[in-house]
Amino acid sequence: MEPGVVMDSAADADVVVVGAGVAGSLVAKRLTRAGLHVLLLEAGPATAWSFDGYGAHLDAFYGADAKGPESPWAPAVGVPQPDTADLRGDDGYFVQAGPLKYASTYTRLQGGSTLHWLGVSLRMLPEDFRMRSRYGVGRDWPLQYSDLEPYYRQAEYEIGVAADVADQTYLGVEFAPGYEYPMQRVPPSWSDSVLAGAVDGMPVTLGEREYRLKVRSYPAARNSTPREGYRPVGAVDEGPDGQRLARDLGQRCAGNTACTPICPIQAKYNAGKTLAQAERTNLHVVPQAVASRILVDPLTGQVTGVQYQHYDDPSSPRHRVRTARARAYVLAAHAVENVKLMLMSQLADGSGLLGRTLMDHPSLYGWGLAPGPVGAFRGPLSTSGIDDLRGGAFRARHAAFRVDIGNDGWRANTGAPDTTVAEAVSAHGLYGPELRRHLSTVLPRQVRFSLNVEQLPSLDNRVSIDARAVDRLGNPRPVIHYAIDEYTLAGMAEARRVYQEIFRRAGIEDRTNPDEGSWFPAVTYHGDVLHYHGMGHFAGTHVMGSDPSASVVDVDQRCWEHRNLFLVGSGSFPTMGTSNPTLTMAALALRTSDRLVTELCA
Amino acid sequence: MSRERLAELLDAAVKLELATIPPYLCALYSLQPEHNREASLVLRSVVVEEMLHMVLAANVLNAIGGRPSVAGPENAPRFPHELPDGVVLDLLPFSPRALDAFLCVENPQYRAASSADPSAGTPTQPPTSRSGPHPSVALNVTAGPTTIGAFYDEIIDLLEAVTRDVGEAALFCGDPGRQITGELYYAGGGAPVVVTDLVSATVALREVIDQGEGEISSPYDADGDLAHYYRFEQLKHDRAYLRSDRMGTPTGPPVGVDFAAVYPMIPNPRPADLADPELIAAAERADRLWSRVLLQIDAAFDGSPATLVDAVQTMFRLRDAMLVLLANPLPGSTGLHAGPTFDWAPPEPSAATGTRARP
Repeated sequence: MEPGVVMDSAADADVVVVGAGVAGSLVAKRLTRAGLHVLLLEAGPATAWSFDGYGAHLDAFYGADAKGPESPWAPAVGVPQPDTADLRGDDGYFVQAGPLKYASTYTRLQGGSTLHWLGVSLRMLPEDFRMRSRYGVGRDWPLQYSDLEPYYRQAEYEIGVAADVADQTYLGVEFAPGYEYPMQRVPPSWSDSVLAGAVDGMPVTLGEREYRLKVRSYPAARNSTPREGYRPVGAVDEGPDGQRLARDLGQRCAGNTACTPICPIQAKYNAGKTLAQAERTNLHVVPQAVASRILVDPLTGQVTGVQYQHYDDPSSPRHRVRTARARAYVLAAHAVENVKLMLMSQLADGSGLLGRTLMDHPSLYGWGLAPGPVGAFRGPLSTSGIDDLRGGAFRARHAAFRVDIGNDGWRANTGAPDTTVAEAVSAHGLYGPELRRHLSTVLPRQVRFSLNVEQLPSLDNRVSIDARAVDRLGNPRPVIHYAIDEYTLAGMAEARRVYQEIFRRAGIEDRTNPDEGSWFPAVTYHGDVLHYHGMGHFAGTHVMGSDPSASVVDVDQRCWEHRNLFLVGSGSFPTMGTSNPTLTMAALALRTSDRLVTELCA
Repeated sequence: MSRERLAELLDAAVKLELATIPPYLCALYSLQPEHNREASLVLRSVVVEEMLHMVLAANVLNAIGGRPSVAGPENAPRFPHELPDGVVLDLLPFSPRALDAFLCVENPQYRAASSADPSAGTPTQPPTSRSGPHPSVALNVTAGPTTIGAFYDEIIDLLEAVTRDVGEAALFCGDPGRQITGELYYAGGGAPVVVTDLVSATVALREVIDQGEGEISSPYDADGDLAHYYRFEQLKHDRAYLRSDRMGTPTGPPVGVDFAAVYPMIPNPRPADLADPELIAAAERADRLWSRVLLQIDAAFDGSPATLVDAVQTMFRLRDAMLVLLANPLPGSTGLHAGPTFDWAPPEPSAATGTRARP
């Protein structure tokens, strides 16, 4: 089958999947291994899938002046993407309609945002699925933690997660008896153990209750020491000649301290690893194919095809329009791109919820200088967090949060170590041995916390399109309306209070000063200015539910109005809790894949 | 025909595999950043495989109640280093000459040409060293020049003979707690075999020979990957093998070899070559780290297998120390750069324990 040959009657495949990120790749792997033929359309180039291509991204990162999250991952001209560097101005891919800026980004290349994610692979808490019935806020999921638990296990093996069950059994999170993660936890950093010495057992009060804190290793999608029978998946190299030269690279994390924006050895999971494990005889990947319209039979509501714009040259908007047809269609293009495509096709807006309830984890940085060296700038960007405040009775009144404890000094919040050197030279006039002494005193003591705060679904936070704002292919750019409500702001304020208490207890000199750090948008709360950054955790835009009038997709992520169309990804989340969405998104994608296999193989 | 002879041969095998590591590291770390990606991959892949071979030989020796020794001036390899098959291992930067040596090392049936044996091998290269090579322990314990394949065959034959003689349980009397297990080995090039009897011992040693020999007879493995020997040939010719190619003459596109994008390390660096006090100090630091790696491996082979993980961390520091040398020109030379001497230098006492050094 040639890519994009227009067929008017015959199907190109059993299933067309749009998007080769983590969700689309998992669907493609599972369906092709079940014997189904999958045509996978990817908007961006497939460069990261070959070792040389990945190396070119690495070179782009090495050569970039500003090492932002997107610096290795430039998009094709016809497939623009949000960029952290565009936030300050107003000329990015998103049309920021306010009142606040939506601060997160994603990547439109084959592999998606897993190319530069941190790899945090937390399960959601059982209570996260029942926010309405438990705390009277947000909404309930149409399924429970126990429904998803088997798929969490599968997702942890598909992605390759390193953790110990003993660390992860807290706040009601349970595991099937005898279960262990495929790899041992990544060894905690020196800074983790220094902090644990000061923090473990420390009480903090939220609402009327006291909570005890603990520095806890988090589940990471980074290759570590494998448990019995598991083989870590290293670097991917899909070449036309069939040679996979890079395979024995990346089978262990080597602590390069560059998970974001690019793991130089691919020891961290990216979606290309999953796609490389698909049954290739049943898989047809068409990169550089931008889905632009979903075709629907007006009588039945069934999807009959996906129109896409295929370009040969990533530096040019020249393209041809083609159509792909199949029995079922899976949109796995991203929480924003899924919605954009649905709106462009004028579909599925019966509930009025398509594009609404966009969420993120608006996050604060707290940074300081530890009394002694904590080994900053060594190991993965972070290895532990403080997760005890992810759940609790206070959630009836304000947002929960988790603390990510950095191993990367003040890199994320100020651009250290470069900015530390620049400041020492230009502000303090240091040079020679004195400069070296200063840097070796300051840099190893840099501590950075990132406080990731839950956000609840709000109808006002939404993705829409405007025919006047289009990209080079003529497709609309996403228009984002975004605000942070009282519930989340109160959680942000509590998170700030807690990190300040922790710093005091650990003897860390608080040096948090957003005016001196990297630029981030700000919001005012009770007279306080809170500078927040995005976590890249888009969710809620095509919410799942059990009532067609109050949700876009059902519990299987099947579109209520178009029964052979599935919208997968974090867009389906009714709420997000405080966990990074990737693992839950993966679990849901595997669950949907099983439904598709059952139906289409019947 | 005895257990003592077996232990002698296996200890020599451990040292033989160890000696191949520094030459590969010199070639690997001499590559300048952002060039020679294929060379970097194949060199890394091979050196990790040599580390596995060393672990496999050590597991067999431990299984028969022996004690592999790799630390100390009497056990650490010295360069240039002569193997029983006549290959002289020099410390060289990535170069055609280094590639020729690696092709010999990767071929277990290789034997250096000599007047007595005109049919074998490629012509011997003129020496790069100012002094003669240091003979491998393996060279000393064999009756005469032999191929590496034959060297291992002798060990396997002897294992079988002694097993017949004294019984399997009596021969394989080593403490299983001294074995290096899969979870401790840093990955790449296969997994260690835990050796408890004749079958597992044979599997372990066959793996060592087969990774070389199998590669020569069947260039592609089950995954369709090209064997190391032929990847070195691709580098030598700067041509990729096509599926239709006859082995020995790759005709595909260039694989991206740039011998100029290499730090031109002085061959077999000696402290006297370094001239500059800062470079001498850097070389001493590299020597101390190398010696610490050997002490940690030695401890891992002597009842504390988990110490191997510490050795991995020290190897990262050794890499950084080597890069300092390789990136610096030698004062007064015509463009040659410094390099590591890989001499034994006792590390500070605290380092010898193998416990994790914390910053």
